[in-house]
Amino acid sequence: MLGHLFVKECKQTAKSLIYWLIVLILVFDFSSQLGDMEIDRKPEPGQEDYGSRISNDPELIMKSTLGELMEEYNRESYTTYPIGFMKTVTLDQEDDRRIGEILEEATGIRSREEAEKVIEAWYTAQSEAMNRNGKREESMAMGPMEALQAEPSRNLTYERFGELMDEADEILGGGSDYSKEYRENSAREPMTYEEALEEYDVLTEKDRLTGGYARLFSDYMVIFLGILPVFLAVTRGLRDRRAMMQELIYTRECSSFTIMASRYLSMVGMLTVPVLVLSLLPLSKCMSYAQTAGIQTDLLAFVKYIAGWQLPTIMMVTAVGMFLTELTDTAVAVLVQGAWWFVTIFASQGRIGGGNYGWNLVPRHNTEWNWQGFHDGFPQLLANRIFYAAGALILVVLTILVYEQKRKGRFRIHGKILGNRKSKSEV
Amino acid sequence: MSTTIKIRDLNQYYGKKQALKNVNLTIGTGMFGLLGRNGAGKTTLMKVIATLLPKSEGEVTVCGRSTGHAREVRKIVGYLPQDFSMYPNMTVYEAMDYLGVLSGLNKETRKKRIPRLLERVNLQDDKRKKVKALSGGMKRRLGIAQAILHNPKVLIVDEPTAGLDPEERVRFRNLLCEIAEERIVILSTHIVGDVEATCEDIAVLDEGRVICQGTVTDLIAMAEGKVYSAEISKRELELLKKEYIVTSMLTLGNNVAVRFLAEKKPFASAKPCEAGVEDAYLYLMHLERGESGC
Amino acid sequence: MERYWEIEKVNLKYNIPLHILVSVLLLLVSPLLMGVANLKAQDTAKVLEMYVALIGIVLLPPVFLPEQDRNIRDLVYTKYVNGAVVYLVRILGNGLLLVLLLGVYVGMLAHNGCEFPVGKFFLGTLAEMLFMGGLGLFFYGLCDHLVIGYMAPVVYYITAVGSADKFLKMFYPFSMVRDSYGEKVWLAAGAAVLIGTGVWCRCRGRNC
Repeated sequence: MLGHLFVKECKQTAKSLIYWLIVLILVFDFSSQLGDMEIDRKPEPGQEDYGSRISNDPELIMKSTLGELMEEYNRESYTTYPIGFMKTVTLDQEDDRRIGEILEEATGIRSREEAEKVIEAWYTAQSEAMNRNGKREESMAMGPMEALQAEPSRNLTYERFGELMDEADEILGGGSDYSKEYRENSAREPMTYEEALEEYDVLTEKDRLTGGYARLFSDYMVIFLGILPVFLAVTRGLRDRRAMMQELIYTRECSSFTIMASRYLSMVGMLTVPVLVLSLLPLSKCMSYAQTAGIQTDLLAFVKYIAGWQLPTIMMVTAVGMFLTELTDTAVAVLVQGAWWFVTIFASQGRIGGGNYGWNLVPRHNTEWNWQGFHDGFPQLLANRIFYAAGALILVVLTILVYEQKRKGRFRIHGKILGNRKSKSEV
Repeated sequence: MSTTIKIRDLNQYYGKKQALKNVNLTIGTGMFGLLGRNGAGKTTLMKVIATLLPKSEGEVTVCGRSTGHAREVRKIVGYLPQDFSMYPNMTVYEAMDYLGVLSGLNKETRKKRIPRLLERVNLQDDKRKKVKALSGGMKRRLGIAQAILHNPKVLIVDEPTAGLDPEERVRFRNLLCEIAEERIVILSTHIVGDVEATCEDIAVLDEGRVICQGTVTDLIAMAEGKVYSAEISKRELELLKKEYIVTSMLTLGNNVAVRFLAEKKPFASAKPCEAGVEDAYLYLMHLERGESGC
Repeated sequence: MERYWEIEKVNLKYNIPLHILVSVLLLLVSPLLMGVANLKAQDTAKVLEMYVALIGIVLLPPVFLPEQDRNIRDLVYTKYVNGAVVYLVRILGNGLLLVLLLGVYVGMLAHNGCEFPVGKFFLGTLAEMLFMGGLGLFFYGLCDHLVIGYMAPVVYYITAVGSADKFLKMFYPFSMVRDSYGEKVWLAAGAAVLIGTGVWCRCRGRNC
């Protein structure tokens, strides 16, 4: 019976306006972000630029972290992520003075005016260098190629630097760019030909090209998949009541498990289909490039990433929508999921380069590179994805229990009796 | 297996409000009418039988199965609620097919049974019509078809004729009678005419209590010798209304032809009439306000 | 006038208390999520445009909700007062609520030492709120579907976060962060068109 119902539910979904709107939005998302995606070519010797990478060099870490501190001190405004959410901190006089002292000890810069001069000089030098090289300006989202740097004092040790930055982070309430986690990822350095070649080799050999692009694809799709399924689930959940069909269904022999499971599976399935179809485009690009470059691709890479990376998000968001709609008979799930999505997306804004997946509903990896980050963060990602998939299944079980109770006349908000208690608009 | 519905000492509460009070009923094959005012507890009783409401106290068995075992009961019960519809974008056939799957019917059975049922309710030419395009009467007929789709032993229909035109109503009643030949059909209504035309056995509910149970003939017998008609002036009508229950009236120029209930002949010009179900029902309700019924 | 006030009273009493509560809660939790004191104009704009404006989505689309049931809708539409008038009164009422909530919030920001052009930011945020709410209202009216009514502004918002003004052009909602106000005029005009068209769609009764 589950199979038959599943097919019927899929057909219903395929006929619903909301489903096609979601598909349309996913297509828009894909084409706006990845529509003109180009496969990275093998680096050639003698290129002007080989991109940049996160550096482990203490000197560089100090320079870029202090550059950030100088810039924020000058702006009198600090951006932190205390609970994973962007917060702008402005300090009172005493704290401001202490940050000034820290900056002075670390860089020798004594005042805002001095800091401003250093910053101006830096940007002037940058833009001159860019003009000289005829480089295109990078997109707004990426920022200038080289982040602002500040020269550390000669006698500043890396240990003392760490202490000072920890103190600054504490003054700012934690989660600032000076915390250990952030500062060690903050420094970027330009790559040499050899390094770029090595990274390319990792992409083409370890990731077999398709892996990297499947991650990038997942990153873009999962942003929308972190919210869109809730609209479908809420619509489906409210449909029975809206069509005044609840009681006709409640009195059927079919078990609540079969009814709810078929709905859930059909929604998750129907939401996965457009993602799978869209993945054929980057896959084909990878394939055609791989053919000319002689790379052994993984044909199933996108399917694996969709199943492992995107599916748990689809499952969770759908389950949240289904559960809250069944429980309340309202569209409150849209609000809840909207809030969750909002916090998730803004919380992960500083960690979109991959590797820092945490317990984010929408794990970010906004690059086809960084296989190492993915590799290192994989156990966490795996735990994350299993957590959400399992959480989704638990929510589905809860939904089934709620539905079963509603069928027996309990929990019903809009039933004849409780419905009468609820005041209706008189106008 | 038993082919009766047995209700013993059923009490039903909504919070502090008691919707059913100590209801005892035995319902056998054929049409069973459940009469009562709006809010008398008819829908509550039907929902308990249809497993849509958990019983608060007492025992309800449907063909030997307790309503506590909802799934077992749902297998043999068909239910047509008072207010219902179906997914508006589905065609008549699709809606039936969907509900058929939910009733556990396999594809072959559905393919065989649905056209037959649609023909029975005279919707065979509308099977490709969208549900949203159906008229009220057609929707009701589709409702009956879906309720007997899984060939239930018991069919429960709640106020099925409300809002139907007279022709549709008669057709609908006949349909129910046909269906009742082979199963228990419980028909709830506040329209006495429906019961009169279709039911052999009835129960009358008032404020959650069964105030009368028996055959239609039993009910009528209660009002026998208590129904009168007379032609009186409009001025006298007001006085008559204060003293007696007027069951119908027709204005004839300055006079009014009235039909009313009285314990004994009230005045010389009053002519005794044969009692009908409506008279009996009103008489019963009147008694209920004073003392207990049959 | 009294009749309109009656309509609004019913609206306030039965239809939107929950939505008001959600909006107020959203504003109340904001200090936990982001800084709301001593902000420079750009950061203040960010708080207003990216967060506070969201209550427009909460408060505007539900004006059609009480008549979601077709029967109730038919009943209301047959009354002496035109259905559109009822909606417009509610929209005006909810719009005033937005003005009130935003006014209190902007006042709080100014009081907390944020430096920003109060009048400009107030009007700019209001335009964005009305536009997002109007977008919801329009799609709700067009499709007779509350969920689509919520989805439209949410997708608009996500597009703005993800692609900046690449697709939205003059309808880009976060322009005050860039110290640009021309977009707000477009948003205000767009809001008027969307709200008007939404109500018209709803009252014509021809929904997709």
